[in-house]
Amino acid sequence: MAAPAVLVATFVVGGGMATSLAQSLGLFPLVGPPSLTVAAYAAQASELPAGIGLSLAIAAASTLVACLVGFTAALVIVQGRWCGKLVAALGTLTIPVPHIIGAASMSLLLADSGLLARLFNTGGGWPELVGGPWWIAVVAEYGWKESAFVALVVTGTLATRAVSYDETAALLGAGRLRRLRHVLIPLSMPALAVCATIVFVYSLGSYEVAWLLGRAYPEPLPVMALQLFNSATLTARPEAAAVAMVTTTLSFGAVAAAFAYLRRSTLWR
Amino acid sequence: MRRFSRRRFAGLLAGAAAALLALSACSAPAPTHPGLTSWGQVTAAAKGQTVRLWMYGGDEQGNAYVDKTLIPAAAKVGVTLQRVPVADTKDALNRVLTEIQAGTKDGSVDLVWVNGDNFGTGKQAGAWLCGWTSLLPNMSLTNPTDPLLTDDFGTPVQGCEAPWSKAQFTIAYNAATVTDPPHTLAGLLDWAQQHPGRFTYPAPPDFTGSAFTREVLDSVSGGYKNVPLRFDQKAFGRLTPALYGRLKALAPSLWRKGQTYPKTSTELNALYAGGQVDFTMTYGPAELTKLVADGTYPAATKVLTLQEGSLGNASFLAIPATSGHQAGAMVVANLALSPQQQAAKADPRTWGQFTVLDTARLDTAERDLFARLPQSPVVPDFNVLSKNANPELAAAWVPALDDAWRRLVLAGQ
Repeated sequence: MAAPAVLVATFVVGGGMATSLAQSLGLFPLVGPPSLTVAAYAAQASELPAGIGLSLAIAAASTLVACLVGFTAALVIVQGRWCGKLVAALGTLTIPVPHIIGAASMSLLLADSGLLARLFNTGGGWPELVGGPWWIAVVAEYGWKESAFVALVVTGTLATRAVSYDETAALLGAGRLRRLRHVLIPLSMPALAVCATIVFVYSLGSYEVAWLLGRAYPEPLPVMALQLFNSATLTARPEAAAVAMVTTTLSFGAVAAAFAYLRRSTLWR
Repeated sequence: MRRFSRRRFAGLLAGAAAALLALSACSAPAPTHPGLTSWGQVTAAAKGQTVRLWMYGGDEQGNAYVDKTLIPAAAKVGVTLQRVPVADTKDALNRVLTEIQAGTKDGSVDLVWVNGDNFGTGKQAGAWLCGWTSLLPNMSLTNPTDPLLTDDFGTPVQGCEAPWSKAQFTIAYNAATVTDPPHTLAGLLDWAQQHPGRFTYPAPPDFTGSAFTREVLDSVSGGYKNVPLRFDQKAFGRLTPALYGRLKALAPSLWRKGQTYPKTSTELNALYAGGQVDFTMTYGPAELTKLVADGTYPAATKVLTLQEGSLGNASFLAIPATSGHQAGAMVVANLALSPQQQAAKADPRTWGQFTVLDTARLDTAERDLFARLPQSPVVPDFNVLSKNANPELAAAWVPALDDAWRRLVLAGQ
């Protein structure tokens, strides 16, 4: 049933990556004859380590925040009282908001002359959240948007798989903390791991939030790639493709690690 | 969104990998001759064509001028004009370059508002149709020896783009907080050091930030006459240590202690509008009038006039070699050059873009159109603003200066 969709997706993603790879290796130059070379990678070698480190750090921090908040929200939703319904509604409303709108809203909210700074009237003492050295607004945006995604997926798992075990454990006299530790967390781990991988790879590869809310230097990999792609210098396009290939490799590494973990997990079926 | 469509486009390209490999031979500059030899032929071929004008979409007045004035005028001469907004002119150039790579003959870009390094890079890659502006009847109203119109950031125009507007790099300040405005660029940098945190500039390669570093280069070199317009590595090595030395010394006194910079001129404008800095800068001073009038900018906003003058340039309309509606695009370029359109565009209530026409070549009625334009309360007259106008450096200077700025000032290496 899914074959046509998979086929189209493979064609688009595979084709895009093949073109990027070929371009990064100098096979599709804008001017001059094509030649196989790693010059594009070498040209960015000095900038790449900082970019890789920053991208991985932003993705890891965002994933951690999204998973913690999302899992907590899922627990609140599953217990099903009025506040659970409220959290579920908020989560559902968050999902369709595009990241770029989220980023613009974060900027209006958290910037030095933003809503919160004006509300508290700090008189210049507002912390550097937007464009600051710790990329807080960027992580906050990813954490907010993706926690809703994590919450809804984990809620699905908990509602279908965990409720009966949870009730059994309660009947046998387990307290809340013991049920959390021995029933709810282990049963949600596979779903959490899948969500975490998706969130990690997404925040590693998307540029608009980091571009809008980040600082000018150092640049995360996707921002660096876009900057190079848009550069008026004709030799910069292979370099942009090279940075994109590095990002792709990191993403595949993260997915491979997640699959290795899930294969060992007995709950994954 | 943009990235997604690019990816998909790239995917389609890869699907035809074999064809592409054959086509990559076409990426060398292609001969670009319109195949139209008289204006009569052009107007006949243009009838009923749809022309897509790709232009920077962040200027609301510019958008409104095109939508409400230029598009209806084009419809009257039988050409359907559509405005395609882009976040940066580089997006339009990139689209054309991708179309050249793919061998497209009926591309999605018919006309581009362009100048500077985007024009230079496109010309180098054969992206523009050339030798067509001499066909336009209204070209006779411009001065053929005007250096702003014969060279675009040092790249000879050679009929590859038709002039549209003139612009003057302008620094604006809030006279309510800056009581002792400087009169030279060196004085401005000194002012910034005496008032820590109240000044900054957009990080190159942002267009405005890049222009600001060129102004500083002229200033630290003792005037624009000491900076050769044509790029050469020797002059770069001789002149730029003073530039980056000055900017590095200035950095600790900038907004956020110079540890970061606004990434775009839009961010700088937001800082200025929010009262976080006292100066902003623009290559399109026309926007100031409206921003002050609607309260976005402080009411006391004034234009800083520098004794040594400031950079001036012209912007143009270029037709991509991949366009399938080149005759229609020529008709629109000619229309945009007409005295009526140029006067409407120069009206500060409409857009306030300075004209490229030579008023000495206009008849009395046409000259009157410009004489009747109202004065802006914020922006001085073009004659005042462009006094001692400094010429723009060759486009090859721009990426070299921007790259070195990122390496030396931003990354602090």
